[in-house]
Amino acid sequence: MQLRMKQSNRILSTYTADVSGVCSALYEMGGMTVMHDASGCNSTYNTHDEPRWYNMPSMVYISGLTETEAILGDDEKLARDLVDGINGLHPRFCAVAGTPIPTMMGIDLSGIARLVERRTGTPCFGFKTTGMQSYVVGASMALEAVARRFCPETPKKVRSGKPSVNLLGVTPLDFSVTGTVEALRSLLTENGYPVCSCWAMGSSWEELMQAGNADVNLVVSSAGLTLAKFFREKYGTPYVVGIPMGEALTGEYLAEIDNAAETGENRYPVKGGKIPTNGKAALIIGEAVWAASMRRAYELSTGKPAKILCPLELDGETLAPEDLRITGEREIGAEMAKSDLVIADPIYEYVLPKGISFVRFPHEGYSGRIWRKEIPVFVGKDWDTWWETTNF
Amino acid sequence: MIKMAIYGKGGIGKSTTAANLSMAFAKMGLKVMQIGCDPKADSTINLHGGRPLTTVLDLVRQKGKAVTLEEMVTVGDGGVFCVEAGGPTPGMGCAGRGIIAALEMLEEKNAFAVYQPDVVLYDVLGDVVCGGFAMPIREGYAEKVFLITSGENMAIHAAANIAMAVENFADRGYASLGGIILNHRNVPRELEKVQELAEDVHTGIVGELPLSSLVQQADEMQQTVLQAFPDSEMAKEYEKLARQVLKACGKENL
Ligand SMILES: Nc1ncnc2c1ncn2[C@@H]1O[C@H](COP(=O)(O)OP(=O)(O)OP(=O)(O)O)[C@@H](O)[C@H]1O
Ligand SMILES: [Mg+2]
Repeated sequence: MQLRMKQSNRILSTYTADVSGVCSALYEMGGMTVMHDASGCNSTYNTHDEPRWYNMPSMVYISGLTETEAILGDDEKLARDLVDGINGLHPRFCAVAGTPIPTMMGIDLSGIARLVERRTGTPCFGFKTTGMQSYVVGASMALEAVARRFCPETPKKVRSGKPSVNLLGVTPLDFSVTGTVEALRSLLTENGYPVCSCWAMGSSWEELMQAGNADVNLVVSSAGLTLAKFFREKYGTPYVVGIPMGEALTGEYLAEIDNAAETGENRYPVKGGKIPTNGKAALIIGEAVWAASMRRAYELSTGKPAKILCPLELDGETLAPEDLRITGEREIGAEMAKSDLVIADPIYEYVLPKGISFVRFPHEGYSGRIWRKEIPVFVGKDWDTWWETTNF
Repeated sequence: MIKMAIYGKGGIGKSTTAANLSMAFAKMGLKVMQIGCDPKADSTINLHGGRPLTTVLDLVRQKGKAVTLEEMVTVGDGGVFCVEAGGPTPGMGCAGRGIIAALEMLEEKNAFAVYQPDVVLYDVLGDVVCGGFAMPIREGYAEKVFLITSGENMAIHAAANIAMAVENFADRGYASLGGIILNHRNVPRELEKVQELAEDVHTGIVGELPLSSLVQQADEMQQTVLQAFPDSEMAKEYEKLARQVLKACGKENL
């Protein structure tokens, strides 16, 4: 029998869920994050979605929702547990994030957050995650909520030298823990661009609160775009979208940072590359900002165009109308069949039609830790080094 | 824009009163949207000459996210924008979750920004049996809750329960009580009993409606009283109530 179901996956996996995206974004901020779900569901997060779990402490918990609480709508139990947790742990803030069961029950987590905040005086967030969207949605809402709540007014300072920057949308789900974040920081500082803060890996709370001082924001994943828009509205900071992959793109990228600082306009150094019009070309599958950066780096390196297939909800303003926003194994397989080269997470290789080349690029937010060792450092000339190993 | 929700015991007159209030607001020159939050989907039926509306959930069932605002919102008598949330087949599914899904769909499609109503009326199913039926009073939805009751014990009991729920939700930033609407059934000590209720739940009686056969006659004609008998005493009562309700919302000059 031939399965002809649409939107169903036999082999392909799902991306990390929105609720893990919230936890991941908030992991290093000193808050207490609670997933409102049945006990045991936390292991999805801490064993598959969170590489920092075993060497960096954080207050991430599961509420241990039971069937009785669900039937009786016992919100008070959750509220009490949150209050107890806050009183015992003294977190900087408390965040509670929804999963499929609370979604189906229609629990109002922001209402509960306000209640807990009134009882404890600790700032609380209730995130309307459902467990049915991807991590980019969760990370995006968490980053923006924290900034909106806590980032202070900052006096406009006069710039001397190269523009200073924030990195927005940085989580292990897109960058893993294999050195890329550190390399990106060094690349910027070595070229004279001070890094004020990184949202949110490797920055102290004090650094995060200084984000308003940066001259330009760098949106390095689609999870950082909402935050960039908020900073634009609050501080007037322009943003640049993309990841500087390879030396050639890095040159253009840095020039666009200068440009953004000079003109106050947002810049898109990874956008507007060649889009294949006819004939076979490369297909890049993954998160939109990563994919657009990869396309530009690929084009600069080979002179060839590529198309993007983004199965995630957010696009980072980097996709062209010709790019694809589809999910579903059959649909994705059909697009692969039209290309001559696919650059994607190794899971996609399992549904690759015969005769098409494949470049493996593991994505933590998709295949987790399985191929982490294979994830290259993918900024600056490290990208070039990696690209050479692919022999394209 | 002022957003209000009408709650009360089953059959007490919520939908009738809501539809007549909508007409009265419309007559005052206000843009009104009435949203029925009841799987029966009969809240706005008398604003449509008795023709049932296609509910939001029916549309979602057929079209998924592709459903448009124009399909969900229809214009009834007096130019009132009418919406029925709808619900599952009786005895199946989850009605409360349905209300949530319907209201979220309206929000997703920016219903208020597009239609820009001055008054939004949520007409909510009798008893707040589960979380979904509290949805209309969550932050971002109704700001004021009006309880409809008569002097009948069951109606008073239901109103008291709803008032208690509203009070419990205060710490969550939900809607507050706007007051009680006394829909007379002419039972003994009616006003006195409802006054007692008002005191118990720390609110006031914002207005009273007499028991009137015109209401049922209009119902027979599948119209509101304001449409069927615009010059009647009862129509004037609804118009008076409309002004009192706006006053209770602090919007008498709307
Ligand atoms: N003031 C009134 N005088 C006479 N009849 C009335 C009055 N108000 C309502 N009614 C009648 O009461 C009946 C029930 O009214 P309605 O359907 O509005 O109640 P409801 O609270 O919306 O009910 P449900 O909880 O089932 O939705 C209708 O037949 C209506 O005509
Ligand atoms: Mg009704």
